[in-house]
Amino acid sequence: MTRSARYHDRVVRRTAAALCLALTLAAVARVSLAQGPSPAPITVVSAQGRRSLTVATVNGGDYLSLDDVATALGLTLRDDRVTGTTTLAAGGRSAVLTPDRNVVSAQGRLVSLAAPPLRQDGRLIVTPEFVTRVVSLVIDRRVEFRRAGRLLVVGDLRVPRVVVRGEFAQNAAQVTLDISPATDTTVTAAGSQLVVTLGADAVDAAIPMVPVQGLLQQIRPGDTPNTLVLATGPRFASHRATVQAIDAGTSRLVIDLLAAGAESLSAAAPPAITMDPGPGLLRTVVIDPGHGGDANGTEGPGGTLEKTVTLQVSRRLKALIEGRLGLRVILTRDDDRTLDQDQRAAIANNNRADLFVSIHANAAVRPTVKGAEVYYLNVDRASLESRLAVQQPGQALPQLGGGTRSIDLILWETAQLRHLEQSATLASLIEGALRAKVEMSPSPVQQAPFRVLVGANMPAVLVEIGYLSHPDEEKALASAAHQDTIALALFDAISAFRARLERPAP
Amino acid sequence: MTGRRVVIAAVVAAAVVTLGWLMFEALGRRLAAPIPDQEPAPAAPAPAAARGPHIAATLYFIAEDGVTLQGAPAEVPLRETPGAQAQALVEAQLAAEPPAPLARAVPAGATVRGVYVTGRDDAYVDLDGAFVKGLGGGSHRELLAAYAIVSVVTTNLTPITRVQILIDGREVETLTGHVDLREPLRKNETLIRPTP
Repeated sequence: MTRSARYHDRVVRRTAAALCLALTLAAVARVSLAQGPSPAPITVVSAQGRRSLTVATVNGGDYLSLDDVATALGLTLRDDRVTGTTTLAAGGRSAVLTPDRNVVSAQGRLVSLAAPPLRQDGRLIVTPEFVTRVVSLVIDRRVEFRRAGRLLVVGDLRVPRVVVRGEFAQNAAQVTLDISPATDTTVTAAGSQLVVTLGADAVDAAIPMVPVQGLLQQIRPGDTPNTLVLATGPRFASHRATVQAIDAGTSRLVIDLLAAGAESLSAAAPPAITMDPGPGLLRTVVIDPGHGGDANGTEGPGGTLEKTVTLQVSRRLKALIEGRLGLRVILTRDDDRTLDQDQRAAIANNNRADLFVSIHANAAVRPTVKGAEVYYLNVDRASLESRLAVQQPGQALPQLGGGTRSIDLILWETAQLRHLEQSATLASLIEGALRAKVEMSPSPVQQAPFRVLVGANMPAVLVEIGYLSHPDEEKALASAAHQDTIALALFDAISAFRARLERPAP
Repeated sequence: MTGRRVVIAAVVAAAVVTLGWLMFEALGRRLAAPIPDQEPAPAAPAPAAARGPHIAATLYFIAEDGVTLQGAPAEVPLRETPGAQAQALVEAQLAAEPPAPLARAVPAGATVRGVYVTGRDDAYVDLDGAFVKGLGGGSHRELLAAYAIVSVVTTNLTPITRVQILIDGREVETLTGHVDLREPLRKNETLIRPTP
């Protein structure tokens, strides 16, 4: 190589290195300035497969590139530079949006959005809500956003909700998957991982972090949409999987991971470390149809019984929550049986419910009184203080395998107290959702010392869905259409409450 | 003649003044009378309440809106002890017919078996089973009936701040499945419509 050629080569290398460095710095600066830490992607799940979409955080909310959404869902986009609008189209259906405006015209309807589409760096970005409410009209298919699993589910796919928990001891670990609605599962060992395959189109999983130990390193989504992978650790030797039916709507898969010569956790000492899926998630809802059996509740002038109406509305609400949110839903009674008040709260407490909704119908001396009402517990401060004074802060109980375990004892009478703030929030959301669909009474949200709410160790409300003593309202409450309307309003409120719980703390 | 005219003028003037005073007095009373639409007339007392010394009390009925309680004045027999006075108040509440446009908050035909007052400002009101049977159903009816009893005792017998309802001498969880009656209740001002 000649001297001039070496010089030329050195200049080219230095220029290229400087360019690379400049580009890298520019990219890093742009990402850090524009977006901060990059949020987890959102995955579009459809009958055609799944596609991961990059997410940008703007004003604290998730935004997706409209180009990415269009590619994933087969939309065509057309910009009109004169009007400043963009048209989305698919199969003869269309929607027209204007950046920075919350209202979008879709298939002749105006859709109002919480956050508008934005133009950022020359490209349009939209929220997941835009996809569920506007794009769904254009592609003429239902689109649901599963916030916990960060999934956009397109069409009527089977996407069960899976809540994962883990318990770990020295030589054994146990991973529990609660699957709603109940779904068939298989567990296969493949090298250093266990693959859990669900009989579904995809999985909406809330996966927690795994504590450091030698049996299990990580739980993550699998390579196909309907699988989860348990990456095993160096001490893992074998596994055992069992399936249990929790109730009609939920199945439980328990996977024991064992070190060499160890026995499963259920036969060994209680776990030393517990992996909690987190306090903010809504997994189980208990719906309490008021009265039942010997207790008819009130009776309308046309003979409609409160216990019948409350059960019918509760069943409709259960179907909505299971079908659309994939949550585990338990009815305190699913037939005409007598339950005392403590049994109702006990069903919720024993199933570790995250929400308790008691459904009732009302009656008034004056037949003109009508409308729905929502109640949450009110508490006598003086008796509350005396009850709390006798409550033990914690108690050590002996455990199998030696040692003690500290547990908090919660007096039944004080169980609801710690949840009053969230109960009030839930009552407010239900009042808002009901008001949008049915008439409310002059006192729509109230506090009352209702017995059934006292022992519920979770946010709890009692909903009076209307007055059976009002002849017209009695007829409405007995009709399937009105019951559907009420159930849908309650479903909307529970969805909103769930979204609040799962919203990351600011 | 002049003296006679003076006497006549004095008599006429006295008659005019007397007539004017009488008219003013009658009109004033009429203007001061309660307006039925705004303030209920006194509750019709139980037959026995009219005899002997009595106290001015407030009884509670369902307001015209159908969802709140409203007080109405009533005369209740004076008793010597707090327990006996509380019992007289509850008896009056159970027996009184509501003045228009108010409605009865407690079931007709129910009776009070006894009232016991503790040294801790609590009262225990023992009602008979007709109180439960007459309620029908619905949480709101139960709320208003329970708090009518609580309010009539705590409002008119100021040392008493809490009332527990017993049925046929026994503590009950609820009346018709809603309101927790295992502990004494305090007056609930949010359920009471202010008297105009």
